[in-house]
Amino acid sequence: MSDPDKPFFVGYLPVPRALRAFLLVVCVIFVPGLAGLGLALGTAQDDPGEGAFRFDYGRQTVTGVVELTPYPVLRVTQGSEHVAVGQTLMLAGQGKTSVDARAAPLEGQLATASGVILDRGDLEMMQLRGGQNGLSAAEGAAPEMTTEPLGRWRLAGEICDGKCLAGAMRPGRGIAHKACANLCLLGDIPPVFVTTQPVEGHAFLLITGPGGTKLPAEAYHWVAQFVTVEGEVARRGDLLVLAIDPATLERAD
Amino acid sequence: MSVKYIPVQWNSNKYLYDLVMLCGVALFLYVFLYAAPGLLSHERPINPQVHNARAFGACAFVMLTVILCIGPLARLDTRFLPLLYNRRHFGVMTVFVALTHASYIVDWYFAFSMSDKYEALLFANTSYGQLQGFPFEAFGIFALIVLIILAATSHDFWMKFLTPPVWKRIHYLIYPAYLSVVAHVSFGVLQDQQNHVFTAIFLAGATAVGGLHLVAALAERRRAPAPAADTAEWIDICDLSQMREGFAKIRLLPEGDRVAVFLHEGRLSAISNACAHQNGPLGEGRIIDCLVTCPWHGFQYDVRTGRSPAPFTEKVPTYALRLSGSTVQVDPRANPPGTPVEPVPVSGSGTAEAGV
Repeated sequence: MSDPDKPFFVGYLPVPRALRAFLLVVCVIFVPGLAGLGLALGTAQDDPGEGAFRFDYGRQTVTGVVELTPYPVLRVTQGSEHVAVGQTLMLAGQGKTSVDARAAPLEGQLATASGVILDRGDLEMMQLRGGQNGLSAAEGAAPEMTTEPLGRWRLAGEICDGKCLAGAMRPGRGIAHKACANLCLLGDIPPVFVTTQPVEGHAFLLITGPGGTKLPAEAYHWVAQFVTVEGEVARRGDLLVLAIDPATLERAD
Repeated sequence: MSVKYIPVQWNSNKYLYDLVMLCGVALFLYVFLYAAPGLLSHERPINPQVHNARAFGACAFVMLTVILCIGPLARLDTRFLPLLYNRRHFGVMTVFVALTHASYIVDWYFAFSMSDKYEALLFANTSYGQLQGFPFEAFGIFALIVLIILAATSHDFWMKFLTPPVWKRIHYLIYPAYLSVVAHVSFGVLQDQQNHVFTAIFLAGATAVGGLHLVAALAERRRAPAPAADTAEWIDICDLSQMREGFAKIRLLPEGDRVAVFLHEGRLSAISNACAHQNGPLGEGRIIDCLVTCPWHGFQYDVRTGRSPAPFTEKVPTYALRLSGSTVQVDPRANPPGTPVEPVPVSGSGTAEAGV
């Protein structure tokens, strides 16, 4: 039975006097309450880290040797204000597109690259301008570049796409970012392994499939998760490259 | 009750309801979007697109949680019924907030590739065979589709067109949708959080929804216990002394329906407890101007016929009644909606029975 002592609300009639105070209290709780939740949730967001597009540097134009790991990198021989000689830049196109088609004809040759820098710690990438404005053959003979093998390693960490992690998206890693990272990797953006312990002083390694192939399809299931993996590590300039053995991928505890 | 279908039948209570709701939502978003970033000590800011997506996503979750708490709160304490009255507007607003969240996600994470962004949403992560890294976007897509369906069919036109039982069943999808939102968050952002404030608020919200529904269901069961399996043809409602003028006693019938037995002007009448509009609990309503008035939206019925007053046409089933000594009894076989039943006078003694 409806309580006869309680006021009865009918939507199209005036609110009973006895209910007005109660409803006022509900409104007073509801409106500031939502504001408080907005503040609590808004200020509970984790720091996405230091990675970012360096638009503040302005456009950088450098010269170096193009290498395909198979993901294209540039071993810088003539730097710029913010890119030093000896640095190895991972190369990417606009958005989630690669520059493989432009880099492949220039493999092993001297080339001029122009674009905007992304960096996070010792991870550096250049997003090239479109067409030949971004990557073109440079005059002169390419100096010989060395690759130093560092042996087989077992590493713990996370597979990310190199561009979002470097700062194209902030944050650009973690489970919530997995689908985005996969889409980048499907677009042949260079993948990166973020280690829990530095390897030869580096926290980020460009990763490839075994024997210098592209990241195999099965690795996509492990992207953005805490995993362990074994592979051959090699140093190319200031960039470490990890050729993973996909059969050794495991979820880390 | 409605004479014709117009987009929205407004009244001052609805204006006030919507104003309060919009103020709360606007404040949530304003504080999240514009006050919170200044308080975060991040070296570099979160992308505006990600920040916006989080603000609208968190807001949609909070709104949905509040909406789902209103129902059980109103069942536990009738003072919350005014919050139920215009809840559909709250739901429609939630859909717009959720759609904004989804738009930021699709236009940011799934854009900028050679693929169509909506196709990319479906194929970028297909790790359905694992818990960690599960494509949690699928849960969000399901919840969003359900919310859109519910908002699109929220108007009374669709209730009439689909019939209330079908409309009601469709709107029960809100529960799988909410579970899907919980899964969406649990498999997604919750696994990435270092700061656990969000986790705590999320768990508190989801627990409140589940807990309140459980408590309300138990309280309702206590109020209207199920009849024994070997029940007789006539069902005991209560002793006549327990009836109060202008109010009803509610009883669960063997078939699962509820009957509301009213004492009105010294005579007993029984109608279905379910309002023809949204199945609101008529027995928890009042008799106003000689008409049973639903506590949810004010739909009215003549307690003797189960019919809304002209020009309205809504009808609810009626039931035959009798007095056995001082015990009020009801025939559990419902009469067709709108069937007149002669009320049973309570002044006499012995057995009195209502006839159709």
